[in-house]
Amino acid sequence: MSDLRTGARVVGALGARSIRQTFRRPQLISPIVVFPTLLLAIQTGGAGAGIELPGFPPVQSFLQFMLAGSMMQSMMLAGNSGGIAFAVDIEMGFTDRLFASPIPRFAIVLGRLAGTAALGLFASLWFLAIGLIFGAHIEGGIPGALLAIALITTSAIAVGGIGAAIALRTGSASVVQGLFPLVLVVLFLSSAFFPQELMVEPAKTIAEYNPFSFIVEGVREPIISGIDATQTLEAVAAIAGIILLGLGLSASALRHRLRTG
Amino acid sequence: MEAASVTRAPAPAGWRTNLATVAALMARAKNELLRVPGAAIPGVLAPTIFFLGLNGVFGSLIHLPGFDSGSYESFIVPVSMLQGAGFTGAAAGVNLARDYEQGWVDRLLVSPAPRWVLLGGNVLAASARAFIPATFVLAIGFLIGVQWPGLDGLIVCYLMVAAMAAVAACWGSMLALHYKSQSAAPLMQAGMMGLILLTPAYAPLELLQPWLEKVAEFNPVTHVVEAARQGFVGSVTWGETWPGLLAVAGLLGVLGALALREMRRTNA
Amino acid sequence: MPAIVVEGLERSFGEVLAVQGIDLRVEEGEIYGFLGPNGAGKTTTVRMLTTLLLPTGGRAGVAGFDVVAEARQVRASIGVALQEAALDPLMTGRELIRLQATLQGLPTAAGRKRADELLDRVDLSYAADRRVGGYSGGMKRRLDLAAALVHEPRVLFLDEPTTGLDPVSRKTIWEEVQALNDDGTTVFLTTQYLEEADQLADNVGIIDRGLIVAEGTPEELKGEVGNPHIELTVGEGAVPEAERVVAELGKLRPRKGDGKVLLEVENGAGDIPRVVRALDDAGIAVESLELVRPTLDDVFVEKTGHHLEGEGGQEGEPAGEEPAAA
Repeated sequence: MSDLRTGARVVGALGARSIRQTFRRPQLISPIVVFPTLLLAIQTGGAGAGIELPGFPPVQSFLQFMLAGSMMQSMMLAGNSGGIAFAVDIEMGFTDRLFASPIPRFAIVLGRLAGTAALGLFASLWFLAIGLIFGAHIEGGIPGALLAIALITTSAIAVGGIGAAIALRTGSASVVQGLFPLVLVVLFLSSAFFPQELMVEPAKTIAEYNPFSFIVEGVREPIISGIDATQTLEAVAAIAGIILLGLGLSASALRHRLRTG
Repeated sequence: MEAASVTRAPAPAGWRTNLATVAALMARAKNELLRVPGAAIPGVLAPTIFFLGLNGVFGSLIHLPGFDSGSYESFIVPVSMLQGAGFTGAAAGVNLARDYEQGWVDRLLVSPAPRWVLLGGNVLAASARAFIPATFVLAIGFLIGVQWPGLDGLIVCYLMVAAMAAVAACWGSMLALHYKSQSAAPLMQAGMMGLILLTPAYAPLELLQPWLEKVAEFNPVTHVVEAARQGFVGSVTWGETWPGLLAVAGLLGVLGALALREMRRTNA
Repeated sequence: MPAIVVEGLERSFGEVLAVQGIDLRVEEGEIYGFLGPNGAGKTTTVRMLTTLLLPTGGRAGVAGFDVVAEARQVRASIGVALQEAALDPLMTGRELIRLQATLQGLPTAAGRKRADELLDRVDLSYAADRRVGGYSGGMKRRLDLAAALVHEPRVLFLDEPTTGLDPVSRKTIWEEVQALNDDGTTVFLTTQYLEEADQLADNVGIIDRGLIVAEGTPEELKGEVGNPHIELTVGEGAVPEAERVVAELGKLRPRKGDGKVLLEVENGAGDIPRVVRALDDAGIAVESLELVRPTLDDVFVEKTGHHLEGEGGQEGEPAGEEPAAA
């Protein structure tokens, strides 16, 4: 029990550090907040007439529809940012200091993920606030908003795990940074920005099977209509799958790094 | 003050010398592409991803009444080409900031070359580099069905791309010389992204949301987008072309002057 | 006729006055050594004289031109090798010199010829077509020096040209600087190395905290200080006691942070036996002893109260403070 308590304290301390790192450096915040907000404004303004298309789900406005996609984008960029920060720690030698300390190994990864989860939480709150300020309704009310926040925050852990795994495996910030276009690709090939049924092939078919589509639909449903158990469960299953993948890859990369130095 | 030595003033550099300096600076700029493996990839990848992604995501917008164009890919390919120009120009600003941090800019500033020549080398290099992502995006576009814009449409489009890259390079250079740090990079990129996309980028002016329609009407880059797009969605006319030329000339004038001012104030 | 004239030159950064109104004069054909510790204002002064920074007060003229009103003419007349060795790692050495030639307005053919000559002069012909990123520190400095010479400037500014170099590379740069000066080039050299100023400079200006505290030939400056000093190494923990014992036999100097006692003596070697006897009588073992003639560091200590090189006290004493009196 005391090992668990120690581990929890370490995770908390490292998580607090990673949160402080991000919020003390505006250039780390800006890709997570500024770009997705700018894109939200541009896409809402530019493609907003799309809600007139036959087959578009009934929504109050295109902004209401887009909020979930923007939260996803911000969350994924936060995961990428977390991976970059972790890789910088490795390059600087800070992780060596941690490895040389009597702390549970996996706490090092979990601490970084705690920071990424905090960024995911921040992203979800930011875009919900933007939506409310510009007139979007959250049809699911407070429970709906809380569900959206919970799904985004746990997704951040999932994506952060993959970022951490890549950082541990490569030890290079520029490699992790180079994966940023991949974030865009994954988002464009999902229903983050437009209903999957109205997308153009082959993006349409890819989006149908993209696990990130399930997550974004799970976040979107409580905003545009209300909480739906099936959508929510599908989102949770997708998040769980990515968490398992991320944590598995991280654990393997961590073992590799500890073995090879 | 006492005269220090023989005081015959060196003659100002002639146009040949200035041209040679611009050419030498452009030649240096190409090293980044040719001598750093994979350096060209990010600048090409981003606009290509946006082009294919936007086409896949918003392609159905073409069915909305008011959309004159037959194909969404033809409608947005010029926007992606201009986005590539914007990224390339902003990257020139980031490179200048890096050069400043590493001391290279001091070498340029301590030479007798006029400041506008030093800036011109950086800006023209960005214009030339912008042809790479633009051509790549266009090639991909043709593969997925973008219609041939005609030779006149192609020329006007590339002219707008080169000019937009120069505008972006002036913007990026201005910020680089003002902040003297690569941390201004997000501002360089976001500024250009906003300028190019707050236009009828995704849909015709009449189909934009009212607030964006208003912004786009005032945004000079709207004319640049329309001029670049005309061959791809119809035919090229002087009426659609001259506003674009005027817009880039105006932007170059304003941003170029601001960038030159910052260059002259680096020793303040 | 002077190559550089400075009157009341000042530079402030907000509240901080980095250069506090300095005057200096460098004659044509001279090597002027500008000596001072890190943060003294050397680089700020050089940047003003090379037009990279505008003064906030005073005036300066280089090669007959005002650094503010006639900046372009100044740039055409000077060569500059800056502290950060502003080189592009992706260029080859030859490309860099040719670019510099173009920046200085040389026609293409003349620039190419000049590049070949200079690369040969600084012994970099063998590496001329290799990328600068692969050069050693010494090679980069030699290349930077060559680039500064491409237009045969009348005045050459070298900002700490040998900082961070090994002794062999340092010697090579010194030889090159001397050769340039023998050809008639005026050299303004900033350095934090005493030996460099001592060896190369015809005149030395010593700057500390933005003010020139001494100026003259190295011999004149050292002559002002006068007396040699004895450096004594005593046992660990014995320094304060040793200082108390020898304080009456000469003038104690500030510690250098290396555990030695420094005692200025009037009679040079003649005072050594008294000092050793006094320490022996007090039961303090002397591990080593050296008689040191005045150096420019001694001049610096005399003028500022702290050392130019090797600052820092021992046994808890802050750097630069006088040792405890008996």
